[in-house]
Amino acid sequence: MRRCLVILLLLLCAGGAYANDQFSYSGYLQSEVSLRINHANGDLTKFKNIFQIAGQYKIIGDELVFFSKARYWYDAAYDLRDKMDIAQHYQGHVQRTDWLRDCYLDYTNNPWFLRLGKQQVVWGQSDGIAVLDRVNPVDLSEYWLPDMEYIRIPLWMANINYSPKLDSNLQILIIPDFEQSTSAAIGAPFTTYSYIRYDNWKKTVGGVDENLYFPGKNFENSTFGVQWSDRFADMNYTFNYLNGFYYSARNATIHLSGPYFGPFSYWKVNRSFKRYSLYGASFNKSVTNPGPLQGFTFRGDFAYYNDEPMYYGNPVTASSAGIKRWNNIMWVLGADRYVFTKWLISGQYGQYILQHSKPNDPRPQYNYILNPYTYGAMDPVENIFSLKISTYFLNDRLRPEVLWSFTDDNQGRISPKATYEIKDNIWLTVGVHYFYGHLLDSNGQYRDQDQAYMNLKFTF
Amino acid sequence: MKKALFLLLGMLLIAGPACALELEYFKVYKPADGMSADEIMQIENFVKYTKCTRDAQFEGKAYFIDKSGAVRERETTRVRITLGRKSDDIAYKDLVMFTAPTQVKGLATLTWTYMDPKRQQDSWLWVPSLRKIRKISAANGDDSFMGSDFTVEDILTRRYEDETYTLLGSENFKGYACEFDKKTYFQGAPCFVIEAKPKRSPWYYSKRVLWVEKNTGGGIYEEMYDPTGRMFKTIFKDYQIYKVDGKDYAAQVLLEGKDLRTGHRTVIINTKITFDKGLSEAAFTERALSESRW
Repeated sequence: MRRCLVILLLLLCAGGAYANDQFSYSGYLQSEVSLRINHANGDLTKFKNIFQIAGQYKIIGDELVFFSKARYWYDAAYDLRDKMDIAQHYQGHVQRTDWLRDCYLDYTNNPWFLRLGKQQVVWGQSDGIAVLDRVNPVDLSEYWLPDMEYIRIPLWMANINYSPKLDSNLQILIIPDFEQSTSAAIGAPFTTYSYIRYDNWKKTVGGVDENLYFPGKNFENSTFGVQWSDRFADMNYTFNYLNGFYYSARNATIHLSGPYFGPFSYWKVNRSFKRYSLYGASFNKSVTNPGPLQGFTFRGDFAYYNDEPMYYGNPVTASSAGIKRWNNIMWVLGADRYVFTKWLISGQYGQYILQHSKPNDPRPQYNYILNPYTYGAMDPVENIFSLKISTYFLNDRLRPEVLWSFTDDNQGRISPKATYEIKDNIWLTVGVHYFYGHLLDSNGQYRDQDQAYMNLKFTF
Repeated sequence: MKKALFLLLGMLLIAGPACALELEYFKVYKPADGMSADEIMQIENFVKYTKCTRDAQFEGKAYFIDKSGAVRERETTRVRITLGRKSDDIAYKDLVMFTAPTQVKGLATLTWTYMDPKRQQDSWLWVPSLRKIRKISAANGDDSFMGSDFTVEDILTRRYEDETYTLLGSENFKGYACEFDKKTYFQGAPCFVIEAKPKRSPWYYSKRVLWVEKNTGGGIYEEMYDPTGRMFKTIFKDYQIYKVDGKDYAAQVLLEGKDLRTGHRTVIINTKITFDKGLSEAAFTERALSESRW
């Protein structure tokens, strides 16, 4: 009902204001079809239809502007495939308030800029690796495959900006809203291996009492963020600080047994969110002066996560023993350059460095920090690489690109795709996601889920 | 003897640049009879990048027309602030925003151009699908500008210092029959004809022949020749005079570029042009780019 009201409000505003440019809108209909190509006959894994409409209303010129964006989708693959039935309730259509993607009021009066409402805030320079991009939770129901704008879950917040001098900015974020990051439900194509293991364990032990504890709704439980941006010696840089609840819940499992429970034992899983801090910095710089590096753009992110909640346990049996609050470091450096006419090559290298200590579990086989996606063992230092090559043909009508992201564990993903503009308002994208690696690695867990996909988009 | 030759060579080297004009930002210049090819092209370059204005805003449409006549459209708003500031070497800053169609709506590029002709531009891109700003490498000069038949160099980066010039003569322009609106432009307009050769070699063109209109100082028509000497592209620019506070600003109202190899054409029409509105430099920063809503 609320959905209809917002759309109706947008349309009513349009009536009076469209003529004098106070109101503008745009939207699209998109159909996405994916097939699992490891399967001999192909296996429909997605038949998603998306409708989006966005509208902007200028209340007082460019000084005070209201903007809203709503998106609704339905994935019919969950109706068509029996084995995906179990995920239907969770994955087949949009959940909770996710349909409202943006809803905010902008106030601009230099040097001030305020954005109040539901929104995404993006920090950092790296592509596809969330080093600093942690202001919003994420929806990983399709892993990290969609564009980040789809992956981030918007939050209600106050985004306050003050620019004390040209090219500098102080941003303060106050986020009283909380949503947890989500992952694919059991039965969906991109369910994490750790979740499958957990679900299997629940079936094995019988009754499990699961409790999810959200942070209390009070101001003290808000997330707070600060970013300082400036420019020095032709280099743009930021310093970042974020303090809030980690958006992924962590499970604490309790086994209750003894005389009180009679011949039965009893399992309780408490899922809760832990508070942590992020201290970070980023930079970008293009080499504009003549020399061997002219034409290169360098960018980088650095983050220190204080009290990041990590699972530890036994990677051989892929079972978690508990949670440790770890102090970890992550950094990424990237470089881009046009190498030939219209060929852009973009590379990234980064490391995720875990705190140098052991979880101190009395059982030696449980002394490993676990990959939260798979419950496989994490290396003390994970080396991460990505390479992207893109170009265009036919006067920018055809845009092919290939992304290869991988780690030093011989696991990764190769995603070639091509977008073709059929008409101004009709766009076709075809592509493939090829995964490789060990079952307990982040990408390797999907090695049997290689996808071929096609998106057809009609815009208005 | 050798000393005398070196002295002569040295004097010529000093005298070369001395032929060039010392053009001041925010002043209006027009070419005149008796000027050298270098002086005329300095003015042409000055006019092309609207260096006589404090700021400029162009709202327009681009049409990409293939050989079969199929048309694709883009709508853009382009804003420029001219600075000519020696302290940080910034000549001007540009902001180009796509406003239609929806697929590209919101895509915006911020570009800073430096006064030092050897420096590349600094560019930032607002990517709506990522909701973030991406610092981008400067595209090569021979890359297509936004998928059009113009190169990046044609529109953004070619400087006066990048070419050598020869004055071929002065003539009344034969007129340009625009395929897009079927009008004939500048028939009989007095022009200088100049041959421009790139200093960079090999390069995607071996020479350009330009017609620079005497009234506006704008390069209204040019023919581009490939390294084999064959003409491969023509570019037409309709310059019109806008009177702002007693000054005559020449502005590009219509551009038509034709690739003779593919038969593809690009037409850019600036439907709304304004100058000297007192834009703030704060509108040309990373923060301003991040305020994008689309």
